[in-house]
Amino acid sequence: MRYKLWFGEYDDGSVRISDNLKKSFLNCFNSEPIPFSVSEVGKKTFGDEYYSILRKVAIEVARELVERELKREDRYVIALVRALDEINSSVNLLEEKLEEIREVRDGRLASEFERRIAILKSFRGEIEREIEEVMRKIAPNVSEIVGEKLGARLLERAGSLKKLAEFPASTIQVIGAEKSLFKALSRLKRGKRARTPKHGIIFQHPFIKTLPRRKRGKMARFMAGKISIGARIDYFRGEINEKLSEEVRLKYERLSRN
Amino acid sequence: MRDFQGTEIMHNLFIGSYDGKKRLFTKSGYPPHYGERKIGDLREWMPQRSKLGALFLKGKIVRFERDMKVLYLGCASGTTASHLSDIIDRGILYCVEYSAKPFQKFLKLAMERKNIIPIFGDASKPENYSGIVEKVDFIYQDIAQRNQVEIFVRNFEFFGRQGSEGLIFVKARSIDSARDPEEVYSDVIEKLESHFKILNTGDLLPYHKDHIYIHSRWRG
Ligand SMILES: C[S@@+](CC[C@H](N)C(=O)[O-])C[C@H]1O[C@@H](n2cnc3c(N)ncnc32)[C@H](O)[C@@H]1O
Repeated sequence: MRYKLWFGEYDDGSVRISDNLKKSFLNCFNSEPIPFSVSEVGKKTFGDEYYSILRKVAIEVARELVERELKREDRYVIALVRALDEINSSVNLLEEKLEEIREVRDGRLASEFERRIAILKSFRGEIEREIEEVMRKIAPNVSEIVGEKLGARLLERAGSLKKLAEFPASTIQVIGAEKSLFKALSRLKRGKRARTPKHGIIFQHPFIKTLPRRKRGKMARFMAGKISIGARIDYFRGEINEKLSEEVRLKYERLSRN
Repeated sequence: MRDFQGTEIMHNLFIGSYDGKKRLFTKSGYPPHYGERKIGDLREWMPQRSKLGALFLKGKIVRFERDMKVLYLGCASGTTASHLSDIIDRGILYCVEYSAKPFQKFLKLAMERKNIIPIFGDASKPENYSGIVEKVDFIYQDIAQRNQVEIFVRNFEFFGRQGSEGLIFVKARSIDSARDPEEVYSDVIEKLESHFKILNTGDLLPYHKDHIYIHSRWRG
């Protein structure tokens, strides 16, 4: 039997030691109880140092997770995304109202109204820049793969960076398509024909949008897979891995060629 | 120490009178952690702040040996864990907590104590730390959750071994606020009996109201 231990993978009596203890510490899920004591196997590997190494890794990991949880910068991004949406729909509404006013009397008040809407519009840009800046910091990999804007939207839908990191790729692929997915499912249930949506928010990405229709599903699947890996790295380690976005770009180039 | 008349009832655990009152202390080479007094090398264990402290001060004995491996579920900022760490000074104390704020303070403790392994995680998901925690001699649980008995049992399934002991604190209101506390308690005990031999149970009055403790031994 195979078991994931904090210091590596156990396989029928032998252990492959992890080359990144923090990573393996965070990723030692076993659905069933392990039939031996982890420390016995560990002491064969680390000897008397076992507990001091375990303790050092545990403290480092815990400090990072706690710090991240306390700052909750993901919540800040989510609040900003929602505020931005609200401002967008307000601006639309206000512009309509401005037109109504203008049709009756295009006077000083209308110009003043227009000026104030313009202020709100430019404030929108400030919020967008703030979102981009924080996304770069807390989710560098997701940002690199889909861009800060779409990344922030995915984060908003997921509810937290932790949840986004826990989503399987298949879920990430349809984030934002929930409405149409439910519609399609209920049509199918009633025995009607329906096309299940293949892509949610990430469909807006140029790498998907600009492909011929029949290739979009494939691209979306690939991208969602990389986003899922990226989100996990972002949540647990926060370091950028350039390879992910590079692979996405190569896939796009290959798909757009033939 | 001048005015302290006491006895060591367990390794590093002292009970006795000090300024005219019965008090509990652990012998500790470490500074105070939660505002408790330090008299000589004894840290006072405040029973109002810790259920285990209350239990000991009431004269109940749950035996910890100095080299025990203990899993502590719901360590919060480490009030109780700090004293337990003094007692099991040659053992290991694995501590699980899922709330960041108290755990931040707990980490200060973990950094000074060589026998504490901190785990920021959810006690209801032992799978997630199954590759970290070894088989232990004792599981301590103080988490006030509706499904806390199931959580307790699941942790024993992962980390218990024949003869491991456990201590669980139950607050009737956190399990079912509508029902009579006595009924809730007997339900809990009945549930535990299918996995454990019950060693002792009782209240924590006058230090903690509406709580009972159940000390038990895992059948495996
Ligand atoms: C009453 S406090 C414990 C006080 C501590 N035992 C002491 O005496 O120092 C309960 C703690 O359990 C934590 N808790 C509750 N449910 C939990 C769970 N499922 N996993 C981890 N911690 C949990 C809470 O966040 C809280 O800090």
